Amino acid sequence: MKQKILYALGVVAALLLTRNIWTMLTKLPDEAFQGAIFRIIFFHVPCAFTCFLCFFMTLIAAIAYLSTHNLKWDAFAVSATEVGLAFGAANLVTGMIWARIIWGIWWTWDWRLTSMLVCWLLYAGYLVLRDAIEEPTERARLAAVMSILSFSVVPFVFFSIKWFRTQHPQPVLYGGGKMDSAYRIMLYGNWVPILLFAVILIAIRMGQERRQRELDALRREIHAF
Amino acid sequence: MKFLRQMLTIAVKDLRSELRTKEALNASLSFALVILLLFSFAFDPTSDMTREISGGLLWLVFAFAGVLLLNRSFARELPNDCLDALIASPLPGAALLLGKVLANYVLLLGIECVCLPVFGIFYNVRWTLQPAWLALVLLLGTWGMTVVGTVFSALTVNMRLRELMLPMLVYPVLIPCLMASMRLTTLILAGQPVTGDELAWFKMLIAFDVIFTALAVTLIDTVLVG
Amino acid sequence: MNDAAARNFEYLAYGLIAVWVILVAYVLTLVSREGKIRAQIDVLRRMMEDHGKL
Repeated sequence: MKQKILYALGVVAALLLTRNIWTMLTKLPDEAFQGAIFRIIFFHVPCAFTCFLCFFMTLIAAIAYLSTHNLKWDAFAVSATEVGLAFGAANLVTGMIWARIIWGIWWTWDWRLTSMLVCWLLYAGYLVLRDAIEEPTERARLAAVMSILSFSVVPFVFFSIKWFRTQHPQPVLYGGGKMDSAYRIMLYGNWVPILLFAVILIAIRMGQERRQRELDALRREIHAF
Repeated sequence: MKFLRQMLTIAVKDLRSELRTKEALNASLSFALVILLLFSFAFDPTSDMTREISGGLLWLVFAFAGVLLLNRSFARELPNDCLDALIASPLPGAALLLGKVLANYVLLLGIECVCLPVFGIFYNVRWTLQPAWLALVLLLGTWGMTVVGTVFSALTVNMRLRELMLPMLVYPVLIPCLMASMRLTTLILAGQPVTGDELAWFKMLIAFDVIFTALAVTLIDTVLVG
Repeated sequence: MNDAAARNFEYLAYGLIAVWVILVAYVLTLVSREGKIRAQIDVLRRMMEDHGKL
């Protein structure tokens, strides 16, 4: 049943994505100054939204685990973090490709890219921490504490880097001015298939965590004889 | 009152234990001086540009040296099951944490006070221009570093690769605190008054310190016991 | 299409390819994890058969 739901979501996401890409490339007019590369924003920004949503889910999972001590929340936490990191990486790479065309250099220390990099490293540390602990309950507990501390520092990171960079003016990645409504519809519209992909990946990863736990339990039972 | 006494007992115990052997203190101080030396090779230490990065340099040195100290904080309790004894004692986790934070704070401030004159000499920076502001930044920034570092020290105490994990986990979380401290220190060392916009950095430092102290105190029992 | 515009489209293509490559790379890690789980199941099954024979 769950498999069928995931497949259905996958098909919906693929269809939406195809329709969006077709609209992007054929219907939407070119942006005045930036040309074709502007269309990358329709992946760049939704990936960032998804990434932060996933990290927020990790926080919720951490608090839920510490309240209930149910390892399912721990599985959710690790799945959400991994998927969040994947989309965060996509955001960083698309940002760099855009910067290369617009500014001629790969990395501009623009405050948004820098903040995303710091958050990416923060949660990559979360995964490394998990790898270093073998006992599942201890791992879940310490990882939960780490994710609470990590998410708490995210707003500080954004504000401090923004102030830091606006004191030394840097190239601004998105350009001034409001976006045309057609663009904005596409921006939020493209978020839907990307979010669906994230949900599917998290569900698959959680299933794998559950099976791993069952296997570990089975192995303990067998060795007990 | 009892809480304060418990906290001070732990702080004094840690300080006494550290000052008897001075191993972490010596290692940390030597490391700080070596880094100061290395930085002098990375760029021209006498140019004007150095003035612009002086605050950043100083806090990088403090961060690297500090992590060495912070590693020892909970690791010191591992031999002879001292950590288990502390956890099993009627001491509240918060008192244990704050006591250790206080001890680390004093030690790190000591290292910073030694590094400042050396930095002034090596890089020709006049650090005595605005002593009150400088002291304020040192006090606030070091507290942020110590609180976060001690909590992570507790988190990583039972891991194999503790010495690697602690720096890797702690530095991203410290970025706002370090950034504010660096910015303010650069201004102060350049002799410029801290006004208007720049005061916002102080507010951020204070907010960081308050929030992370609260988080640390809340989470320490989960970290140590579960 | 002039040179600048062509380069623009080229990089747009790189960008879209990059997003896909990263997501596919993640899916591949999921697939490899799946393989490891299957291997563990086989080992356990063999262990249970050995126990059964005893």
